[in-house]
Amino acid sequence: MDTTGAGALIKALEDVGCEVIFGMPGGAILPAYDPLYDSKIRHVLVRHEQGAGHAAQGYAQATGRVGVCMATSGPGATNLVTPLADAYMDSVPIVAITGQVNRSVIGTDAFQEADIRSITLPITKHSYQVHDPADIPRVIAEAFQLAASGRPGPVLVDLPKDVLATATTYTPVKPAAQPRPVLSPVQIRNAAQLIGSSKRPVFYVGGGVIRSGAAPELRKLAEKTGIPVVTTLMARGAFPDSHPLHLGMPGMHGTVPAVAALQRADLLIALGTRFDDRVTGLLPEFAPHAAVIHADIDPAEISKNRKADVGIVGDCRDVMAALSAVITRKTDLAGWWNYLGGLLATYPLGYDWPTDGALAPQYVIERISKLTGPEAIYTAGVGQHQMWAAQFVKYERPGSFINSGGAGTMGFAVPAAMGAQAGAPDRTVWAIDGDGCFQMTNQELATCAAEGIPIKVAIINNGNLGMVRQWQTLFYEGRYSNTRLGTHQRHPDFVKLADALGCVGLRCESQSEVDGTILEAMAVRDRPVVVDFVVGQDAQVWPMVAAGTGNDEIMAARGIRPLFDEEE
Amino acid sequence: MTRHSLSLLLRNEPGALARIVVLFSSRGVDVESLSLAPAERGDLSRLDVVVDLQPGRTVVQLIKQLGRIVDVKSVVDRTHDEALELGA
Ligand SMILES: Cc1ncc(C[n+]2csc(CCOP(=O)(O)OP(=O)(O)O)c2C)c(N)n1
Ligand SMILES: [Mg+2]
Repeated sequence: MDTTGAGALIKALEDVGCEVIFGMPGGAILPAYDPLYDSKIRHVLVRHEQGAGHAAQGYAQATGRVGVCMATSGPGATNLVTPLADAYMDSVPIVAITGQVNRSVIGTDAFQEADIRSITLPITKHSYQVHDPADIPRVIAEAFQLAASGRPGPVLVDLPKDVLATATTYTPVKPAAQPRPVLSPVQIRNAAQLIGSSKRPVFYVGGGVIRSGAAPELRKLAEKTGIPVVTTLMARGAFPDSHPLHLGMPGMHGTVPAVAALQRADLLIALGTRFDDRVTGLLPEFAPHAAVIHADIDPAEISKNRKADVGIVGDCRDVMAALSAVITRKTDLAGWWNYLGGLLATYPLGYDWPTDGALAPQYVIERISKLTGPEAIYTAGVGQHQMWAAQFVKYERPGSFINSGGAGTMGFAVPAAMGAQAGAPDRTVWAIDGDGCFQMTNQELATCAAEGIPIKVAIINNGNLGMVRQWQTLFYEGRYSNTRLGTHQRHPDFVKLADALGCVGLRCESQSEVDGTILEAMAVRDRPVVVDFVVGQDAQVWPMVAAGTGNDEIMAARGIRPLFDEEE
Repeated sequence: MTRHSLSLLLRNEPGALARIVVLFSSRGVDVESLSLAPAERGDLSRLDVVVDLQPGRTVVQLIKQLGRIVDVKSVVDRTHDEALELGA
């Protein structure tokens, strides 16, 4: 087929099954926008390229497919840096397509030139700069495959403007399928043996289980063995919250039973997880009595932070299927469950109502979950509201919680929700956002309104950069330096802002209005909705393992250290 | 600090060397010496590098991280060969 580089790009994207691109045009990428005008691919015109990147991430996580974002050279491309870093940390498969200045002027500080490949080297899985338009079909096919295969991640394709404009012929390419790693039977046998002889085992489940689509295998293996499960922030939804074997989330703001299970375990079965410092706390004090089985598709993760006694390189789905095949019986875990059951009964997740009559943020999130249910998709920003969204929404299925775990990017919630809703139009999508985070990317609500993407946003408006304020309360003697946002004084007025952005704006300030407001928001289907939930400023996230301390020092609430004081 | 001598084969693709060097700098690896030369196969280059690792970081870890780079075909640890060559 005779075409141009740009025509080949759009054709190649169609051929790899791309159905939506989030992007913004500009000089260098302009040739690509011309054939896009005639394409069946939907283009969502964002208001800031960061929004395009996070939308691609949200789309990828809601659908399990590769998300695509597109930007022009220079500032357009550099605006994608944060989402690329975010996708790299959380292993999200996205392809970023950037325009570049003409080949002849690369390296001359030309107008809107930025060396985006070099800028993003440490935060991309791979990147290309295409110099021959005939290479475009192969590069796009490879980029999609690289993004999605092995440990997923972001791939950048940088396209000089004249390459897009040059005539070429389009020849379809099918990249060779990437083989999945073959499991070592010896390691599987060793793992099964350790599992069989352990008395206090626990499944420590990470986001890799969601990426590999292994939630059904996990459930089967857990039920077969009767071993308790903990799901990290990135794995919320990988195992149903309603399941009796589930102890909740481990880590800095994890549940007491989940943290205790890791600390008292004699065996960790770590699946698609990377022993992040927010989970382990002080590493030398993490799970001190446990042997470790660590399965991950990325060999570089095994024994990176904690030495594995049995390391298994493989896709979590294959690993669990192989383990299920060799493990035949339940081990006797009565003593272990007796201990954990006691903790579950004594330390359920909970919260106190503010004494000044203000609304409890946890209650708002609990009610959103209750009234919306587990078929919805929930995204979150970063801060206290994110932790409450991880704790108080009840997740039952993988892909239902989308958040920025590794990078902790404020402003993630709204654009990620937009991408998720574009990929899953039949699901309700709630962005649970902070009043600080919301102000970083709320302009994408204009995109949602214009494009008919009816997301729902719950602003947990505590008037402050709440998570930072919590640390100031706990570790800086209540010296609240630069954490007050003025959002309780209506700077801005979120209801008016929502209205100006083409959304329905609602406000809720008391417990009695919560259910009614949520139902009112649920009834809106033709436009985005923003609810300003005005909540107390002093609510804190508990339990907590303070940064730099060991997990044994977990505080169920301020000053209460159940494990530290425990008599073994 | 522990010293290691690594030998890599990489594809002659733009940015391949940059990706390796950036990996060293972002993971806190000290580069003692580095040399790049054409390999026998025309589309590959050979990179010989001597690095110092921070305490607690292992060469196995570094080799796996280098192995993740798409344009890196192979990585071998030659530390012991060199020790032999030097008669150490
Ligand atoms: C881009 C970015 N800048 C700064 C931070 C540091 N930070 C982490 S949480 C937080 C406060 C977020 O405030 P808000 O959105 O109101 O959430 P809250 O904690 O109040 O629920 C800040 C500033 C960050 N994570 N990301
Ligand atoms: Mg806040």
